[in-house]
Amino acid sequence: MANYFNTLPLRQQLAELAKCRFMHLDEFTDGVEALKGKKMVVIGCGAQGLNQGLNLRDSGLDVSYTLRDEAIAQKRQSWKNATENGFTVGTYEELLPMADVVLNLTPDKQHTGVVNTIMPLMKKGACLSYSHGFNIVEEGMQIRDDITVIMVAPKCPGSEVRAEYVRGFGVPTLIAVHEDNDPKGEGLALAKAYAVGTGGHKAGVLMSSFIAEVKSDLMGEQTILCGMLQTGSLLCFDKMIEEGIDPGYASKLIQYGWETTTEALKYGGVTNMMDRLSNPAKIRAFDLAEQMKDIMRPLYQKHQDDIMNGTFSKTMMADWANDDAELLGWRAETAETAYEKTQAGDVDISEQEYFDNGILMVAMVKAGVELAFETMTAAGIIADSAYYESLHETPLIANTIARKKLYEMNATISDTAEYGCYLYNHACVPLLGDFMKGIKSDVIGKGLGLNDTGVDNARLIEVNEAIRNHPVEKIGAELRGYMADMKRIV
Amino acid sequence: MTDKDAICLEALSVDFDGRFQLNDISWTIQPGEHWLITGANGSGKSALAAVLAGAGEPLSGSLSGLPARVALVSYEVQAELIEAERRKDDADIIDVIAEGTPVAEIIDEVCKDHTLAQTLIDKLGIRSLMDRAFRKLSTGETRKVMLIRALTSRPELLILDEPFDGLDLDSLVWLQAYLKDLAQTVPMVIVLNRFDEHPDFITHFAYVNDGHLLQQVERKDEPALAELHQLLHLKTSKLKVPAADPAAQLPPLNPSDPLVRLNGVTIRYEDNTVFEKLNWTIEANQHWQLSGPNGSGKTGLLSLITGDHPQCYVNDITVFGFKRGTGESIWQIKQYIGYVSTALQWEYRVGTGLRNVIISGFYDSIGLYSKSTETQREIADQWLALLGMTERADEPFNGLSYGDQRLVLIARAMVKHPPLLILDEPCLGLDDMNRQLVLALIERICTSKETAVLYVNHHAEDRILGIDNYLALGDTPT
Repeated sequence: MANYFNTLPLRQQLAELAKCRFMHLDEFTDGVEALKGKKMVVIGCGAQGLNQGLNLRDSGLDVSYTLRDEAIAQKRQSWKNATENGFTVGTYEELLPMADVVLNLTPDKQHTGVVNTIMPLMKKGACLSYSHGFNIVEEGMQIRDDITVIMVAPKCPGSEVRAEYVRGFGVPTLIAVHEDNDPKGEGLALAKAYAVGTGGHKAGVLMSSFIAEVKSDLMGEQTILCGMLQTGSLLCFDKMIEEGIDPGYASKLIQYGWETTTEALKYGGVTNMMDRLSNPAKIRAFDLAEQMKDIMRPLYQKHQDDIMNGTFSKTMMADWANDDAELLGWRAETAETAYEKTQAGDVDISEQEYFDNGILMVAMVKAGVELAFETMTAAGIIADSAYYESLHETPLIANTIARKKLYEMNATISDTAEYGCYLYNHACVPLLGDFMKGIKSDVIGKGLGLNDTGVDNARLIEVNEAIRNHPVEKIGAELRGYMADMKRIV
Repeated sequence: MTDKDAICLEALSVDFDGRFQLNDISWTIQPGEHWLITGANGSGKSALAAVLAGAGEPLSGSLSGLPARVALVSYEVQAELIEAERRKDDADIIDVIAEGTPVAEIIDEVCKDHTLAQTLIDKLGIRSLMDRAFRKLSTGETRKVMLIRALTSRPELLILDEPFDGLDLDSLVWLQAYLKDLAQTVPMVIVLNRFDEHPDFITHFAYVNDGHLLQQVERKDEPALAELHQLLHLKTSKLKVPAADPAAQLPPLNPSDPLVRLNGVTIRYEDNTVFEKLNWTIEANQHWQLSGPNGSGKTGLLSLITGDHPQCYVNDITVFGFKRGTGESIWQIKQYIGYVSTALQWEYRVGTGLRNVIISGFYDSIGLYSKSTETQREIADQWLALLGMTERADEPFNGLSYGDQRLVLIARAMVKHPPLLILDEPCLGLDDMNRQLVLALIERICTSKETAVLYVNHHAEDRILGIDNYLALGDTPT
C-alpha cells in the first residue's frame, strides 16, 4: 500500500489540508433520519466504542458489536463491556454481512488487519466509518469502490462523550467524507446523522477531510500535546533538583502544574494563562518563550515535514513491523527518569502558586502551542484545525499527567502519539541544553520573590499586544465563542 | 494524649472560598461533651462541623485544643471522593476504560484498625461489595464506606454530618447502638437535620443561623430545648404550586394505556443478580411508594423506567407507549418524567444560576442549552419564591448548600407538571422545615389529576397522603 497523500497532486493536497468548517446547528435539522432503521455494527468495545454505542442507541439507532472470535470465546473485557450493557455481540461472520454501517473503533495499528478482514464480509453499498484517518491517508488502504467511507471523531475521551450526552449536550466532533469512496453521495448525510446520534451537533461539528485530520492530529500530539509536556517535565525537574529544591515539591509542582496552568488556557487561551502571572513574571515568561521558540522552530518544522512527506509514518510502521522495539525501549527509559521515580511530596501548593513558581512551565506551554500552530498553518493546515490540535487539546493531556505522571500520559494516548512523543523528546532535550544552563529557580521552583512588582508601561503594553495578537488567540477566541454560544444559557 | 484539653473557638471567623462565612464563633467543647449542631438548610451547620476538621480559611479569632486525628463524614467529603474517582475516569484520552478504585482499597487508604474494619464491613452488610468499584455503589452503600473509613481511622474527635441519612433500617439501628458505645471514649460532634433523631448521648445542642452560632443549649435545660425544637419545626402556611407552561404541549398519551409496564424485568451483572422477573405496572395518576434496603435495586429499577440503565434494552419494558428498543430516543421518554435523586444531584455540577437550573427541567438537561421563554422564566421565579429564594435567582447552583440544592432540584423536577414524577429519597439532606415543605408539595401534586407520583423513601414516618400503592424490593440476593 502506498502513502495516499503522496499520490495526490499538490493542489489537491493543499485543498484537502485547508478543509475545516464550523457547521451551524441548522445544518442538522434532519437529526438521525439518515441512519434510522439501519444496522450499525461497532468493531471494538473500548472507551470510544462503548460510549459512542450507548449514545447512538439512546438516540434510537440500532447498534450491535462485533469482536474477534477470541475476545468472545475468552469473555474479554470488551465482550463484558458490550454484554453488560445489553448489546448484541457477534462474530464478524455473524454481524458484518447484515451491517449497513460499520464503525471501526479499534486502535490505528490494527486497522490494516481489521479492514482487510472485514471488507470481504461487508455487503455491497455499506458504509465504513473511522474515527482517525491514519489507515486511509498514511497506509493508503484501498476500500472497495461500492463502500462509502466517512470519519466521525469526537474530540474528547470516551467517558466524556457519554457524560455530556446524558446531560443533554455533547462534545465537539470532527466529521469527514473520503471523497474517493462516496459512490452514492450519501457520506455527508451519514456522518451528520452519526454526529447527531452521539450528541456532537449540540457542542459543534467541524467539517474536515481525512487528510487535514491526520496531518494536524499527528503534528499536535507529537509536539505540543505530548512531546513538549514530556520534555518540559524532565527538564524542569532536573533543574529544580540542581537548584536545591525539595524533590517532593518539584515533583508535585510539575505533576499538577501542567493541569493547573493549562486550565487557564482552556478558558481564555494563551492570553488568560499569561494574565495569571504577575506583570514582571509575565514579561519573564514571554521572553523565555520567545527564546525557546527560536531554538525549537527547526524541530517543529522537521516534525511537520516528516509528517507531510510520510517519513514519520514510514518510520513508525517499521517499528510496528519490528515488534515495537523502539517504542517499548523508550517507554522503559521514561520510567527510569528521576522525575518519574520521585513521588509528589505531601505539600500544599495553592492554585496561584503553580503559576508563580512555574513561570518556565507557562513559557513552555506558550512556546509549544504557538509554534505548533504556526508550523501547522504554514504547512497549509487551516487555522481551525490547527487550534483544535494544539491549544484545545493541551489541557486534556495535562490532566493525564496529573493522574500518574508521564506513565499515565503515555499509557492513555495512542501508540502513534506515544511514538511521536518520544521522537520529539529525544531531539528536544539536547536542543534546549544550553538554554537550560541559564535557568535558575526564580523561574522554576521558587518564583521571582520580588517586593516591588512594578514594570515599565511601554514594555508591558508591547508584551500584552504580542500575546493577544498571535493568530492562535484570534481563532481561539472565535471558536471558544461558538462553543460558549452553544453552551451559554440564554 | 490531649484528651484533657477543651476545644476552644474564640471569636473565630472562617471563609469558605468566598461563598460562605462563619462569623464570630465562640464555642467551647469540654472533654466528655457530645454536641449536636442544628439549623436550617444553608445556615452553616456543615461548615461549622467541617471547621473542626480543618476546612475553610480562618480570617480572625482562634481555634485551639483540636486533637491530632479528627474524622469527618459528610456529603461534601463523600462528593469529593466520588468526584476524585470520576476524574480518574476522564483520563482515558484514547481508549482505556478506567475500572475505578475497589471499595476494599478505598477503606484501606485510611484504615488504622483492620479488625474493626472487618467487623464493620459485616455489620453494615457490604462484604459482597469489597471488589466493586467505589463509584459504582448506590448512595447508601457509599455512605457506609465513608462511615467505615471514619470509624477505623482511630479518631480522637468524630464529626458526623447527617450520618443516618440514606441508611436502611438495620444499618441505622446498628450504627446508633455502636455510636452510643463509642461515645464513652470518643467525643462526637453530630450534624442532623432531623432534630427528632438525635442520639441519647448528645449532651449539648448548638443552633446555627446565617453563619452565626446563635444558641448553645444543655440537654438538661428543658425549657430552652423545647424552644429550640419549636424553632426548628416552623412550618410554612399557604402553599400554591406554580402552574405548568401552557405553551409546552407534550405529545398526548393514550389515557387507557399504563404509563409504565415492566414485564418480568431483570437486572443482572456478571457477579450479581440485583432482582429478577419483576412485574410492575404504573397506571396514569396512580401514586406509588417504593421501598427496600440499600442495594436492593431501587435506583436500578427506577433507571429502567427513565432509560438511564443500559439493560432497559434487553428487558420487556413499555413506557409512555414506547416499547423500549424499537427506535425511540431517550429524550422522547424523559419528556414525560420529572426526576430527583442523590445521583442526579452529584451529576448536576454546574455553575448555572438557580433560575436556569429550574428552567432546565423543561428541557430534561443538566445545565441549560436552549433558549428559554418569558413564561418559563416567570414560572421558575414563582418556584423560587415558594422556596424563599427569590433574591438568589442568579446565584450559581454549585455554591448552594446541599439541602438548598436539593430543594432547587425538586422544583426543577416539578416545573413541567410531568405525567410521572419520580422522587428518589427527595428529603435526604433537608432540615425539618424544608422536609415539611417538600412533603406538602408532593401531597399537593398527588391530589392533582395530571401527575403520577413514584416516591422512594426509607423513613416510614414520611408517608404521603394520597399514596396508596406500595412496592417493596427484597434483600440483595447473595
